[in-house]
Amino acid sequence: MYFWPGVAAIWGALLAGLAGVAVYVRVDRGRKDLLPLARTLYAAYATCVVAASAMLMTLLLQHRFDVSYVNSYSSAELPLHFLISTFWAGQEGSFLLWCFWGSLIGLFVWRSAKEQEAPVMVAYLATFLGLIAILCRQSPFKLLPPPAPADGVGLNPLLQDPWMVIHPPVMFIGFASLSVPFSFAIAALWKKRWDGWIVRALPWALLTFLTLGTAILMGGYWAYKTLGWGGYWGWDPVENTSLVPWLFTAALVHGMFLQRVRKRHRKINLILACTAYAAILYGTFLTRSGVLADFSVHSFIDLGITGWLVAILGTFIGLSIVMLAWRWRSIPVVEEEESPLLSRSVLFILGIAVFCALATVILLGTSAPILTRLSGTPSQVQTSFYAKTTTPAGFLLVFLASLVPFVSWKGDRFNEFLKSARRSLIVAAILTLVAVGFGARKPGTLVLLFTAFFAADMNLRAVLRKTKNAKLGGAGGYLAHVGVGIMLAGVVISGAYAKSQRVTLPVNVPKKAGGATLTFLRVVPGTAERKQAMEIKVDTARGKSFYAYPKMYENSRTGQLMANPSIASSPITDLYIAPQQYDPGQPETVGRDVRLTKGTTTNIEGVGFTFRDFNADRSAMMRGEKTVLVLTDLTITPADGVNRDVTIKYVFHMDGREAEAEEVDIPGVPRAKARVLAVSPNDGAVVLRLRGVSKDPGMEYQAATVESLSVDVTRKPLISLVWGGFYVMMAGGILAFVKRSKEARKAVLDIAKEESARGGAPVPATGPALPAHTRSRLE
Amino acid sequence: MKKGYWIAAALTLAFVGFGLTAFQKTLTPYLSFDEAKKARGVVQVMGALDKQSDRYDATREELSFDLIDDKGGRMPVAYKGIKPANFKDAISIVAIGRVHEGRIEAEKLLVKCPSKYQGAEVEKAYASQPASKS
Repeated sequence: MYFWPGVAAIWGALLAGLAGVAVYVRVDRGRKDLLPLARTLYAAYATCVVAASAMLMTLLLQHRFDVSYVNSYSSAELPLHFLISTFWAGQEGSFLLWCFWGSLIGLFVWRSAKEQEAPVMVAYLATFLGLIAILCRQSPFKLLPPPAPADGVGLNPLLQDPWMVIHPPVMFIGFASLSVPFSFAIAALWKKRWDGWIVRALPWALLTFLTLGTAILMGGYWAYKTLGWGGYWGWDPVENTSLVPWLFTAALVHGMFLQRVRKRHRKINLILACTAYAAILYGTFLTRSGVLADFSVHSFIDLGITGWLVAILGTFIGLSIVMLAWRWRSIPVVEEEESPLLSRSVLFILGIAVFCALATVILLGTSAPILTRLSGTPSQVQTSFYAKTTTPAGFLLVFLASLVPFVSWKGDRFNEFLKSARRSLIVAAILTLVAVGFGARKPGTLVLLFTAFFAADMNLRAVLRKTKNAKLGGAGGYLAHVGVGIMLAGVVISGAYAKSQRVTLPVNVPKKAGGATLTFLRVVPGTAERKQAMEIKVDTARGKSFYAYPKMYENSRTGQLMANPSIASSPITDLYIAPQQYDPGQPETVGRDVRLTKGTTTNIEGVGFTFRDFNADRSAMMRGEKTVLVLTDLTITPADGVNRDVTIKYVFHMDGREAEAEEVDIPGVPRAKARVLAVSPNDGAVVLRLRGVSKDPGMEYQAATVESLSVDVTRKPLISLVWGGFYVMMAGGILAFVKRSKEARKAVLDIAKEESARGGAPVPATGPALPAHTRSRLE
Repeated sequence: MKKGYWIAAALTLAFVGFGLTAFQKTLTPYLSFDEAKKARGVVQVMGALDKQSDRYDATREELSFDLIDDKGGRMPVAYKGIKPANFKDAISIVAIGRVHEGRIEAEKLLVKCPSKYQGAEVEKAYASQPASKS
């Protein structure tokens, strides 16, 4: 059973897409007259994808709970923004979202591809048709057998967070736009146009860098603020599989810029564009196929699409390798004079190498369960693996970034470089000394900090130099590097000097933790708008005091216990209070509680207990009397095997007074006693408290506890630099994106002009396809 | 320029080599109870909670319980830390740590609880120390 219009739209997209590929191939073979048809087919494909998305959204907004997807992820009481976000809460919806962005981006691609339109669009459409095929098989429009449920299962409470509403759409823009450099690279290999593609694909690589980066940060911020891990990054497979493509994209952006300026290093970008795209597919395979189910704190469900994902992954990796191998010898290599080590060209190559090595190592760690499964024993790497490997790589990257601003492409003498770097060296030394003054001592940390400050200041000076010449637009790269330097400083300081402590706070007893005095005051009950929270009075060392309200509540639908930390932020430090456990307190108890259901026998330490029936005075209940006598009939079978019937009295008071429970001897077991703790006539069950049954008396004793709250208190100094540095990096990315988009548009217009000068004929498929003006100037 | 490529290649290889050694050192294998009892180093085991076996000392924050695997094997677990929320509801528990005298001293527990949400995080990690994540 299916919701037919939706299924028709998806199948329509598949057919239009396949037809589009076929017609574009014929256009490429010389049937220029078919170009309008090919474009119409692409438009039809895009329309179908948008229509399918619109239909799914409409079904969600209309609460059509007879649709399986709507039923699984949404419910009637969700507010509008969460209801919209249920669109991408499941696998099918997120694949559809990916295709949705892809179909829109394609409308720009076909206009900018110009003389490469046919080959680029063939590759571009192909990157999405696999996903569309998955949606045909695993449709989000499946209907449930009638009757339709009145309400849906609802959205996972952890995802009911504003950050999780926007995180997936932003991330999938990045995924979709990475198809563009990949398609241009494949077209370049196919048509042997080695340089023309860079100028038009670079903005899309930058868009991926921006959106995927932003999505990663939003995920990290969500983890920090909601999950209560105490950190923003946990090296979970889901996080890693978005970080790895982002690192490859960063490498690609640098490589494309290098090729734009130097007209060399063509092979690097062809490989990187294929690798970055493959990394996204591989990540999708890892997180969607269920292969990591036992290894991640996120759980993945195998929808039966693993085979499809492997096929798509294999197709594109195979295609990339075949294309590269086929054309490898014909890719022109420009012989040039040897550049000195200290030249921008060499720094770029090194930087790209470090990006790729870092991404590969993270990928290796994430793939550990699969790799080790091949050898028999599935294993996982500890998170220390990532800390060990990423630290030296991060250091190298920032070190390289610090050299770039004052080194020219052709190379410089070391002495001259030192002269221009002197000011930044002094600034970095001063800032590092300040850190020492605040207590930083570890040599490794100080080296990292010095490098981070040096990189930030060197690049900041480059930004200022550009601004003075009124060329801020070209300062994007430097500005991004300033941000990277700041971010590294923040990561190092907040990581190395975070102080974390777990304390148990008995109610109303002040305790010192994290440089403050905490007093747990009370549980603030939840209301419709506000979740249940714990009220903690915080008195700082400086004599200020405030109240922190970490949330801790039971999810009303699942009974799952949810805990959100409370964060007191200032630019200098974050005080992070993550609730761990709340103990309402209980008096000392002696005994062992056993729940028995009617007619079943439960064996406790060799003694059989069979609960036969209740015998309640129902007439008293009917008369509305406040006191009800319940007699519980049991058969007890001790080790000697002789059944003995026992009846235990239990007097229940309706007015809330404590029940009176008679304690009886357990026959056949010396000194053992039993009494009724609770009865639930509706379930036909009784709870007994047994004493003296266990051989070890310690097992039956539970000491009294007072009401208390356990919290992890963490002080994170300068974590604001992580977020701040990130914003600066993204601002740099946006500047670069704007500048490169303008260049791309200009290049497209120039090609159009050239084409019309030739009387509508496209520029020949070989020779320099790069218009003169795009040769970028040296500074 | 050739020089640059060579250094880049050497750097990449050295780093990936370094990554591989770190990889082997930090690998924690998923083992059956019998294998784990013989193994050295950090291992992880998975099983169901024996609901009669768990003891928790709230003042010293020490938890001990037994895991049972599908073959009926038993693995005692000791864990120093606050008892995870929803511990009793766990469908399965993964304990990561070292085995001493037939008992695993867990540094980390992954508690998998039933969830009716598809694709939901039903598993939660608990570390014996306050989570030290950067």
